[in-house]
Amino acid sequence: MSGILETLGRIYESTLFVYGMVLLLVYAMLALLSMLAVRRYAKRDNYHQLDILSSSPLAPGITILAPAFNEGLTIISNVRSLLTLNYPRFEIVLINDGSTDDTMQQLIEEFKMVTVDFAYNEKIRTQPVRKIYKSTDPAYSSLLVIDKINGKSKADATNAGINVASFNYFVCTDVDCILDKNTLLELIKPVMQEAHKRVIAVGATLRIANSCEFDEGVMTRMRPPKQLLPRFQEVEYIRSFVLGKMGWSYINCVPNVSGGLGLFDKEIAIRSGGYDHSSFGEDMELLTRMCRYAHDNHVNYSVRYIPKSLCWTEAPSTLKIFNRQRTRWARGLAQLMHAHFNMFLNPRYGKMGMIIFPFNFFFELLAPIIEFTGIIVYIVLAVMGKINWPYALLLLLFVYTYAIMITTISILWDQLTFRYYKTWKEVVYLCMTPFMEFLFYHPLIVIYALRGYYYFLTGKKSAWGNMQRQGFGKKK
Amino acid sequence: MLDIQVPDFLEPVVNTFRYAPLAIQVAMVFIIIASLGTLLAYYSILRSRYRGYQRDKKLAFLHPKIDNLIIEEVLTNPTLLKDDVPVAHVQLNLEPFQELPLHKKWAREVLTERIIHFRRNVRGNMGELLRNLYLQLELDKDTMKKMRSGHWEKKVQALVEFTSMDMSIADVTILPLTNSRNRELRAAARHAYIKLSKNEPFKFFDVVTEPLLMWDQVELFRIITTTQNIAIPNFARWITYSANKSVVSFCLKLVVHYNQLPAVPAIVKLLETKDHYLRADAINCLGKLRVPDAEDKLIVMYSSQPLHCQIEILKAVGRISSGRHVDFLKQEFLHSTDFDLRKNAAKSLVKNEWTAKQVLEELLATANAENLRILKHCMNPLIKY
Repeated sequence: MSGILETLGRIYESTLFVYGMVLLLVYAMLALLSMLAVRRYAKRDNYHQLDILSSSPLAPGITILAPAFNEGLTIISNVRSLLTLNYPRFEIVLINDGSTDDTMQQLIEEFKMVTVDFAYNEKIRTQPVRKIYKSTDPAYSSLLVIDKINGKSKADATNAGINVASFNYFVCTDVDCILDKNTLLELIKPVMQEAHKRVIAVGATLRIANSCEFDEGVMTRMRPPKQLLPRFQEVEYIRSFVLGKMGWSYINCVPNVSGGLGLFDKEIAIRSGGYDHSSFGEDMELLTRMCRYAHDNHVNYSVRYIPKSLCWTEAPSTLKIFNRQRTRWARGLAQLMHAHFNMFLNPRYGKMGMIIFPFNFFFELLAPIIEFTGIIVYIVLAVMGKINWPYALLLLLFVYTYAIMITTISILWDQLTFRYYKTWKEVVYLCMTPFMEFLFYHPLIVIYALRGYYYFLTGKKSAWGNMQRQGFGKKK
Repeated sequence: MLDIQVPDFLEPVVNTFRYAPLAIQVAMVFIIIASLGTLLAYYSILRSRYRGYQRDKKLAFLHPKIDNLIIEEVLTNPTLLKDDVPVAHVQLNLEPFQELPLHKKWAREVLTERIIHFRRNVRGNMGELLRNLYLQLELDKDTMKKMRSGHWEKKVQALVEFTSMDMSIADVTILPLTNSRNRELRAAARHAYIKLSKNEPFKFFDVVTEPLLMWDQVELFRIITTTQNIAIPNFARWITYSANKSVVSFCLKLVVHYNQLPAVPAIVKLLETKDHYLRADAINCLGKLRVPDAEDKLIVMYSSQPLHCQIEILKAVGRISSGRHVDFLKQEFLHSTDFDLRKNAAKSLVKNEWTAKQVLEELLATANAENLRILKHCMNPLIKY
């Protein structure tokens, strides 16, 4: 009996070691690919002047979709911020998703909105649209507001926006995100610079807005968050976007375009069925379906990412809200894997089936489970006195130093290319964060992920909680 | 066998490594790599920020100096007020420029950059005088060196500098670059060729094999439409003969911009192309040129077209607004099963309102709920699209 247990133990140990090594090698590969991608972007960026596009009659039209639910606190400044975007041909579609506060009333009064008979074509099914508004003031002629019955999800609201979008590309953002004024120019650039592939989605780096300074919805000073929890998220975002997404983008394997900011090909999005309102990870789900549609219909597609930070979002600063957010994300991932499992290792879906899906399955979905079981086994072995402590500590140190290196490299790519943050102190502040991330932040992520999986398996009903934002203000 | 002497203090570590299982050996190697990698990353961040800081400091010192010199010696040069002195032969006072550290390459580059910046913002004799300054300070030699470089970035820089300073380059030097495999170099060479070629600035349209990307088209459109004294050819030549679809599509946009009605027969001929995207572009072009003669052909071909071509035809009939095809638009509005076709038919009916008023009134009175909403949508001046 003890022989069998020992053999099983060895198999478990070896499997975990191989799993860990593959994961670390994948991160090493991503570090290398992201370096190439970021360098290529930075080099080329010097030669493409945005002002040429900003005044061109040939610029493709873009619709901005901004769903809003009970955003009365900041709605006016947020819409004003969107109206200042630098692009020659765009419209803003704001979707009031059945707000129970005065969001709609404020919009009507501030922007002189009146109801119009709009030819609404429900290409994607949504909750009913009550009314559609346009402004009588020519200064706001690019603004359109949809007032609809609450669909209990951002997906439903965004789908209503897609139904009225006039242009071939739409940018999906959250109304409370702060966008760089050149966001549309930057996002459409990869679409216009692709020779042989159809670019179906473009994403850009998101950053945490918590300690940044804003004036009338425009970012005036970028700072790493002062609070620890948002600062961990800033570091995580840099690693995820600048290293992860850019690395994947280099080999056309982007797994997700963030819901905070992304540009999409409207035709493919509609043909794929739009956002899934029952999904908890609707952004990733949509991209998966768009890629799937492209494969099924022999569309030679690509998904691109750019390393520039174009969007600032308020990160949860309390554990309660953070828990809710991450549980939802984990549940969304589990849902996605379940819904599209037939793409897993399916050569018919090319890189999507052979690279993106296996990576997400093994190293995103299974990682928290493997980590958790690993800790349990560790504790059991420790109780049984079967741990070789010097070796165990060495292995822990190995993972710890490697994690710090990968995060520091992503901060390096970010700093080499854009030199964000004004002072040295702020950069040092950020560079110190990875040392604590592994010890304090990572365990939280694992726990919340497991909670999300549990909710997925038990089918627990979950309400779409509001983020309880603090709002962005001007420095006093 | 190589026998390496290990210092005494490292002996226990080496022994641990030597007798450890493979997993631990790998971990130990990775700990060293990760620690060194992290330190190296810190050093690189530090170095890059320090360099950036130094560069900002240098520029903060140099920019105002250069700007003052350019304003004093060039932009307010008294010869600009004299009509009888040809600007090209004016010898500028270069002595004050010797105060600048021009023996350093980076300083010369900054100066070139500032001259280009000023030149983009002035016209006429002032621009000519800035060109004189560039030549008299022999900054063109640096540009020439860049042009001969093997690095594409340098070549692009040189082409931008030559173009900005209106320096002529032999066609044989630029033309091969217009088909370079490197996208940025290719684009820069095309821009340079259009701006600098004295003979046939559009000749590269004949030889271009790579597709003109949408971004290239935006850049070329700007260069072509803003360059002064450029001989605009009849773009029908490429619409008829070019095998490069992106060139044809781009020429259609130029035809619209320059309202080149002589190109209409070539565009009508293009309606027969098998590529329906190109066909849609041609229909769009005919609509924007408002060619009433093309309407009949468009109506005849309508039923055999894919959806996006049909939409373009409806739009074209609206833009041309001859009033001759109101019945066709009405039929499409009433009987088409596709929402977008009905909407575009309604829009075009509204554009033909001067003759279709009665039809519109009749439709408003009799249309079903959805069609009525479409009509009201199209008639509402607050709704643009």
